[in-house]
Amino acid sequence: MPGGSSDKVAATLGSQVVKLPSRRTETPHESTERRRILPALEVSLLVAAVLVPFVLQDYATIFATRVLILCLFALSFDLVWGYAGILSLGQSLFFGMAGYGVALLSRDLNIASIFVVLPVGALIGFVVALLLAGFLLLGRHPSSIVFVSLGTMTGAYAADRLAGGSSYLGGQNGIPSIQLMTVGSYELNEGSTFYYLALGILIIVYLLSRYLLRSQFGLALAGLRENEYRIGFFGYKAQHLKAVIFSISGAIAGMAGSLYAFHEGFVGTNVLGVVMSTQVVLYVLFGGSGTLVGAIVGTVVIEALSFWLSNSFQDFWPIILGVLLLLVIMFRPAGLVSLLLSERERVGTFGRPGKRGKNDAA
Amino acid sequence: MMNDGMKFSRRRFLHNFAFASAAIAVGPGSWVIRPGWANAAEGPIKLGIATDLTGALGFAGNTDANVARMVIKEINDAGGLLGRPIELYIEDTATNESVAVGNVRKLIQRDKVDLVLGGISSSMRNAIKDTIVSRGKTLYIYPEGYEGKECMPNLFCTGPVPAQNCDQFIPWLIKNGGKRFALPGSNYVWPQTISAYARKVIESNGGEVVFEEYYPMDQIDFSSTVNRIISNRVDVVFNTIVPPGVSPFFKQLYEAGFSKNGGRIGCTYFDENFLEMNQAHEIDGLASSLDYYRALMDEDPVSAKIQGEYEKQFPSQFRFSAGSAATGTYRGLKLWEAAVKEAGTVDRDAVAAALDHAKIAEGPGGPAEMVPGKHHCKMNMYIGVAKGGRYEIVARSAGLVDPKEC
Repeated sequence: MPGGSSDKVAATLGSQVVKLPSRRTETPHESTERRRILPALEVSLLVAAVLVPFVLQDYATIFATRVLILCLFALSFDLVWGYAGILSLGQSLFFGMAGYGVALLSRDLNIASIFVVLPVGALIGFVVALLLAGFLLLGRHPSSIVFVSLGTMTGAYAADRLAGGSSYLGGQNGIPSIQLMTVGSYELNEGSTFYYLALGILIIVYLLSRYLLRSQFGLALAGLRENEYRIGFFGYKAQHLKAVIFSISGAIAGMAGSLYAFHEGFVGTNVLGVVMSTQVVLYVLFGGSGTLVGAIVGTVVIEALSFWLSNSFQDFWPIILGVLLLLVIMFRPAGLVSLLLSERERVGTFGRPGKRGKNDAA
Repeated sequence: MMNDGMKFSRRRFLHNFAFASAAIAVGPGSWVIRPGWANAAEGPIKLGIATDLTGALGFAGNTDANVARMVIKEINDAGGLLGRPIELYIEDTATNESVAVGNVRKLIQRDKVDLVLGGISSSMRNAIKDTIVSRGKTLYIYPEGYEGKECMPNLFCTGPVPAQNCDQFIPWLIKNGGKRFALPGSNYVWPQTISAYARKVIESNGGEVVFEEYYPMDQIDFSSTVNRIISNRVDVVFNTIVPPGVSPFFKQLYEAGFSKNGGRIGCTYFDENFLEMNQAHEIDGLASSLDYYRALMDEDPVSAKIQGEYEKQFPSQFRFSAGSAATGTYRGLKLWEAAVKEAGTVDRDAVAAALDHAKIAEGPGGPAEMVPGKHHCKMNMYIGVAKGGRYEIVARSAGLVDPKEC
């Protein structure tokens, strides 16, 4: 399991203790030293991201935009797997359905305004995830991890096949020539404007996710991940919590899918399929699941590596990449970020220290 | 036309893997192929090839890249184009549309090429055409035979389309097979489009379609289809099932005694690469309709010269064949060369205007010319019949066949 150990997290649940107790013996100095790394990492990533269009050439900025959109997608998977322990192997279902949905909006209704397209994409992802959650998660008994992972994977696979067989959706050929996304009368072409748009959305989603996960809700989710029955005994409706986070994650994936469709100007069945779902699992495992920053680091490193490797070793780059992934997952199961962050920082703190007892709900 | 169903051909995969390893061992060198000389005043003309070097369609993509190397070397050795040498940029589209869009952007935005030629499957063309043409403002040539209906400005197609495949082929099948047709196909765009066209031609020539059916791309058991074919006394199977299903289908059809009892298989895309997927006796008598066969070497000196030169430069398993888009690539590059010469510049609009009516007198399978305003190419078509693992040419078009597109 990613993240912290079950006892520590569960121990904080009954009362409103906000910090994990085991490290209280540290001197204050040590503690602040250690806790500075995560914010520093986040800020340096942000600064680097802002500088990208000034440093890189045009085509690399466009490539970076695609990576940012995939980061958003990776965040959505991290929320369900890293925090709630739901192994969704069909995350591309939400990504791809939203992509197809907005592609149809653009093709049939000629709508490309960002104010319509993004909310619609998020809504499609949300609704599809909610329906799937109703089937997979909201049973009387907690569903097993195998049931959920195979269920979501089947969903993605079925959607891939159905889209490939539907002539309305363009069959295997997909939907090409999606127009440019518009803000009012301004057309968002690929390049630095689109890059900053994607970056802005990513930052907002990142901050909202962090707020959500550091609340009591996040604490309950972490408990759920470690021991679902125990959370049930505390009086939480575990299945409902799961359905909520699953749907939120679906909405984020949907938003990423609609951005992706307009950025690439094309959707095909591969955005729905199992390959895309597996890719997002790799991003998150590689970077470090259970930390939001891990999803970002994983996506950026894998995409940058494959870009560089495919340039330098055109014939066997997938093999090098595969070996690297294996090495990290074997020797650093907590992902790349565990090289920098202590376990305490990865687990983090929950709730708001100043308002003990007031935020009772979850 | 083709699809990634081909990934299931294990033998093909092993071949490719062996050659990829060989390429690594000897070092593929730079993927930018610079000419041996330069023109200081204007610099070289940049030509981008975006094709599937890796993945399921790697066998075809590597052929196309080789054809481009051969043609460009020939042009450069003869003094270049407009006095400028041509620099070749080859990018891998990896039989994966998501990877492809990123790599094609490198050609457009980093290398700023003057032309992109490539894409093998229709889904690949659909994925990259906007990156090249509308967003990238660059000329695009698509070399593979496909289902037609691509009429985007500044996009030119140099492979055969359904009218060219069927107009002469169907009457021949009726004469040399019979009137009762079955149209089994894989369930995607190309089989559906070409079968719809074939049905029209069959019916207007007095034939009859007994059934038209589509199967999942990975289906390999066709016993019920074969039963239906035998029990309905079908004369001609006009097949659009693609790998991996096609080879078991033909085998099951053979075992049911279809060809022994006088049945005829027609399959438009079947080139020399596919012949080795079945035992030769299982597909004896199979008729195919393409713009080029290797057997043309015996009668056409131009084809013999091109085929010979290719085999001399690239004595590998990547065959110069029509289904791999090798002929479309050759034709596309030569038509573009003619257009640039006429336009006197590499400016996109001027070249597109000249390419619209470009002609070449010599190419694999004969001359070719673009049909003005139609974005497609007139070419000779041939009917080949498989015999003992080789094709014999049994019929040829009277002249250049019109694509009837756009």
